Amino acid sequence: MSYCVNCGVELDATASFCPLCHTPVCNPNQPVDETSPKPFPTERKEVPPASKLQGAILISTILASVAVCCGVLNYFLRTQRIWCLYVIGAALMIWIWTVPPLLHHKKDTFRLQLLADILAIAVYVSLIAVDLDGWDWYWHLALPIILLLGALFFFWGLTLGPGKRSTLTSITLVVGSIGVFATGVERFLDLFFRGSWSPSWSLIVLAVCVILIIPLTVVRRVPALREEVRRRFHL
Amino acid sequence: MARKHEKPSWYPLDNAGVLYSAIQKDQYSAVYRFSALMTEPVDPAALQRAVEKTMPRFPGFGVRLRRGVFWCYFEPNPNPGPFVKQDMANPCQPIRFHEDNDWLIRILYYEKRISLEVFHAVSDGAGSVVFLRTLLAVYLRELGCQIPNGDGVLDITQPPRREELEDAYTRYAGNRVLRGKLEKTAFPNVSPPEPFYTLNVTMGMVPLDHLREVARGYQATITEYLTAVILQCLLENQAARHFRHPQPVALAIPINLRPWFPTETLRNFILTMRPSIDPTLGEYTLPEIVRQVQNYMRLHTNRQEMRAKFTGNVRFTTNRFLQIVPLVLKNPVMAFSYHLVGVRPFSGTYTNPGVFQVPQEMEPHIQRMEVMLGQATRPSPHCASISYGNTMVITFAGTGTSSETERRFFTHLVRDGLPVKVESNRTR
Repeated sequence: MSYCVNCGVELDATASFCPLCHTPVCNPNQPVDETSPKPFPTERKEVPPASKLQGAILISTILASVAVCCGVLNYFLRTQRIWCLYVIGAALMIWIWTVPPLLHHKKDTFRLQLLADILAIAVYVSLIAVDLDGWDWYWHLALPIILLLGALFFFWGLTLGPGKRSTLTSITLVVGSIGVFATGVERFLDLFFRGSWSPSWSLIVLAVCVILIIPLTVVRRVPALREEVRRRFHL
Repeated sequence: MARKHEKPSWYPLDNAGVLYSAIQKDQYSAVYRFSALMTEPVDPAALQRAVEKTMPRFPGFGVRLRRGVFWCYFEPNPNPGPFVKQDMANPCQPIRFHEDNDWLIRILYYEKRISLEVFHAVSDGAGSVVFLRTLLAVYLRELGCQIPNGDGVLDITQPPRREELEDAYTRYAGNRVLRGKLEKTAFPNVSPPEPFYTLNVTMGMVPLDHLREVARGYQATITEYLTAVILQCLLENQAARHFRHPQPVALAIPINLRPWFPTETLRNFILTMRPSIDPTLGEYTLPEIVRQVQNYMRLHTNRQEMRAKFTGNVRFTTNRFLQIVPLVLKNPVMAFSYHLVGVRPFSGTYTNPGVFQVPQEMEPHIQRMEVMLGQATRPSPHCASISYGNTMVITFAGTGTSSETERRFFTHLVRDGLPVKVESNRTR
C-alpha cells in the first residue's frame, strides 16, 4: 500500500496521485496497479446540457402569433392607419430582448446582445416615427437619447457586476453616470427645440450627483471614515 | 358508490418534497446516493430480478412526479423499470422529469458496488436505507443466500403498509410556528466549477472504533466531532483567502425526526440544524468548536422547537391563499426563498445517517456502505458519512475543482491519529 507523503493518507493501489493534494505516487516497492479496476467507474455518461430551445420556441410562437393576428386585423380595423406596426415592433423588440439570451447565455456575447437590444429600441421608435411621420424628431432627438442610454448601459455592464467593484465605487459610478446622462438628455432637447444648448435643470441634477459623489469618494478613500460609516449604519 | 371510497392513487408531496421539486432544474436536482460494496462482483441479472420483486413493496419509490396547476403530485409510475444500469464516473446526475421513463430513483452497479440514487422529493435517507437494505436482502436471496426478514429488512410478500406513505410532517404539525430571523450569509466555500456535469467524489475510510475513541477524547459523539472538524476546515479555507470581512461558517445538518416523532413513514421526515462559528469573534480551537456544536445541537434538538419549526413549513403548503397561486408563479418564489434560507446561510452540508444495520446473515456479503450527497446549488462540496461494521466511510462530493476542504479534513483526521484510506473519482 502507498501513502501520500504530504497528507499521510493511505491511497488506493490503483491511484497514480493523491486525490487530496495531487502529489504523484512514486513508490518503488509498490508501483501503481494499472490492471485492477479503479474504485470508481472511469466511463463518463454525458448529461446533455439543458436546452432552453423549448422556451425560446414558446416565446417566439406567442410573439409571432400576436404580430400576425394584429397584422391581419389591421386590414379590417381602422385601416387608415398602420397601427399594427406598434404591436409588431413591440413583439420584435421583446423577441430580441428575450430569445437570443435564452439560446446563447454566455458572458462574451454581452456586448453583442446589448447592441442588439439598443438597436431593437431604435427600430421600434423608428416605426412610431414612420406612423407619425416624425423623422425629424427621430434623428435629432430620439436616436441620440437611445444611443446615449445604450452607452450608459454598456458602461455599467463593463464596470459594474459582482466582484468587479466595491459597493461604494459602484454607487459612485451609477450616480455619476446618471448626472452625465441627464446633461446629455437636456443638451439634445435644447438643440432640438431651441437650436442652442443652455443648461438648466440638468445642472441641478449634475450638482446633486456631484454632491453625492464627493462624500462617497472620500469615504471610499479613507479607511477610518469607512469604518465609522459602517459602525454608524450597522453595516 | 364503491368508486367513491376508492383510495386515490395519487398523493401530494410533503413540504420537503414541495421544496425539492420547486428548485428542480435541468441542471440541478437534489439527488443523493447510497451504495453497498459487496464482497463479490455484482450479478446485474439477479439485481434486476431483485429490483422487480422489491419495487411493489415500496410504492413510495415507484412514483413519477406530475405537475398540476397549483402543486406537483406523485402518482404510480406505470412505465417499465426501473432498470439497473452500469455505474458512471459522474454520479448523482440531475433527474429530468420525462426522461428515463419518469423514474425518480436509479439503481446502478459497478464491479462489487450496488448504488441507489434517489430524488430527495421521494424520500429521505432513513427511508431510502430501508429500501436499499431490503433490495440487498432480496438480491442476496436471488444469489441463493438465506436471508431472513426483520432487522430492517421488510417482507416483500406482504402488501405495503399505509403508514409507510404517511406525511409525518402533517401528522405531527402543531399550532405554534417558530419563525426564526433570516440567518447571516455564510462563507460559501466555492471554487471554480468543473464542466457540466462533473461531480468530484473523495471518499475516506476510517476505522469506527478509532474514530469513536478520538471523538470521546473531545467528550463528543462522532457526528459532533466530525461536524466540528469540517467547520474548522471551512474556517481555515476562509482564512486562506484573506477576506477583509470574514463571514460565519455554518453547516446544514439534517436531523432524522423519527426518534422524536414515532412514525413508520418512508417519505421525507427531516429538519435541518445550523451549527455555526463566527470567526469575527476571535479564533476558535477545535475543542471549542466541538463544544459550540455540542451545545447548539443539544439546545435546539428538542421535540417542541423542532415541531414548531416544521409546523411553519406545513402551514406553507396548507395556506389557503398559496393553494390558489399557480405553480408557475409559486415555484420561482419558492426557489428564491430556498436560496435565502437554504443556500445563503450555509457553507455546506454534513449528514450522518449513522450505522447501517443488517441481519447477521447478510453481514458476510457486504464489505462496506457508502453515502454521497449529489451536487450542491453552487460549486462547493457536501459531506456525508455512514458506518457499517468497523468502517466509517466519509464522502465529500461537489462540482468545484478544488480539493482543499477534503485535504484539510482528512489530514486533520490523520493528525488526530486516525488511519485514513482515501479513494476518489478525480482524474486530475
